[in-house]
Amino acid sequence: MHKNKGSKYRNKSKPAVGDKARETLENIDDNNPVIQLFKGYAAELDDKHDRYERIVKLSRDCTIESKRIIFLLHNVNTDIESKRVTVLNEAQERLNALINTHFKSIALELKGHDSYLYTRAYTSGVQEFIEAYTFYQFILSENIGDWKSFDALFKYSDEENGEFSLLFTQNDYILGLGDLTGELMRRCINTLGVGNTSECFKLCNYVKAINTGFIGLIAPGNKELGRKAYTLRQSLSKMELVCYNIQIRGQEIPKHMLMSVIESSDVKDDDDEGYY
Amino acid sequence: MSSKLITEIFTPFQDHINEEQEIREEIRQIMKSIEKPLREIITVLQVIHQDHKLEELHQACIKGREIFEEVRIGFEKLDKIVPAGQYYRYHDHWKYVMQRLCFLAALIIYLEKGILIDKLTAAQILGIHEKSNLKFDLEDYLMGLLNLSTELSRFAVNSVTYKDYDRPLQISKFVAELNAGFRLLNLKNDSLRKRFDAMKYDVKKIEEVVYDLSIRGLAAKNSEEPVEK
Repeated sequence: MHKNKGSKYRNKSKPAVGDKARETLENIDDNNPVIQLFKGYAAELDDKHDRYERIVKLSRDCTIESKRIIFLLHNVNTDIESKRVTVLNEAQERLNALINTHFKSIALELKGHDSYLYTRAYTSGVQEFIEAYTFYQFILSENIGDWKSFDALFKYSDEENGEFSLLFTQNDYILGLGDLTGELMRRCINTLGVGNTSECFKLCNYVKAINTGFIGLIAPGNKELGRKAYTLRQSLSKMELVCYNIQIRGQEIPKHMLMSVIESSDVKDDDDEGYY
Repeated sequence: MSSKLITEIFTPFQDHINEEQEIREEIRQIMKSIEKPLREIITVLQVIHQDHKLEELHQACIKGREIFEEVRIGFEKLDKIVPAGQYYRYHDHWKYVMQRLCFLAALIIYLEKGILIDKLTAAQILGIHEKSNLKFDLEDYLMGLLNLSTELSRFAVNSVTYKDYDRPLQISKFVAELNAGFRLLNLKNDSLRKRFDAMKYDVKKIEEVVYDLSIRGLAAKNSEEPVEK
């Protein structure tokens, strides 16, 4: 048991509250076993927090770049084939660059660590990336890859580090897909602006299909999924209204004037997340 | 197109969710089997707040250690359920229980030896050291220590009631050292930080008890070396 060894007799007539604690603190030196113990813990804790922050930073860069790629892809509303090809090629290159730089860095940070401890640090970056990538795929071929095809993208191997991979959860994939519908809605309204009505119907049908998928999911306790499904339904109802207007008024007025009609009927793209 | 989306994307996702739910359910069952001995150990150790003799404290520690065997059996089972490398995926299921258990282990070690439990010893008592899939999270361990400081502040008050005037002095030294240790950590603005911020109330309470004892000269009576003259 601890005795009060080495207690200093202070020349004070009356004791005060906190004397004992102060005295203990004064007598603590670096060799104190508790201090020794905590020095080790501090190093461990710092390592974890620093790693987490580094991943958050990388993830934020991924989000920004993904948003820029999405913005670029929104310019593909052109009939000029050569421009379309140029834009798509650029998007493809930048998406690949993200996989091989930022995401690879995150994977390296996580190598040898329990990735689930850090998933919260990079989930938003991954989701935004999936949104950009599936948007690219959709414009290219009207089809999107499944989770497995994306998971394969996050497998790396090089001479220095051998084989390693980034933990890519199915949840992030589905959430990214939910975000995609927002872009499809925006694209639907943009294409209407250039009078491409058949594209509108196609986009609307695709989002309907995704919505059906979301409705069918039974995922107790997954709040974020619920939020995405809610936003998805809002986007979808905007698109459905666009399609309805095209159908009912399309015969009355020229295509290029449809946009103004629809704008006046309260379809506004007002929940823009903003581009960087 | 719609059906292709469903079969290729949403059906696999639903399967994935279902698998996860099954694992979670199994974990919940095992955690129930661990929470029962947890409650028992808490009850057994409450004896420290009652009129105690050293012998009874000793017995309580032995009893507590015995019940910990059930805890270890539970974690043994849990280790087999948790998939490799996915400890933190299901962390929420056992986080609080481990914190409480760590607190109890720390209390037992304190009562037996008067020293601070280290992380390895705590993991050994809980039965989660050298497991393939289970580990002991540092922050859970630290949380357990903060719970200990709260319990000790109550212990200090009750010790005085039962005329053990030496105990509060020991506790004061112990908690002050612990507090100094925590000050070495760079805490983020998270739950651990908030819990640590509350530690000052424990320290304050203990210091008030020590003060009350020392102004009445009671602190010196049982202690070999007087603190104040």
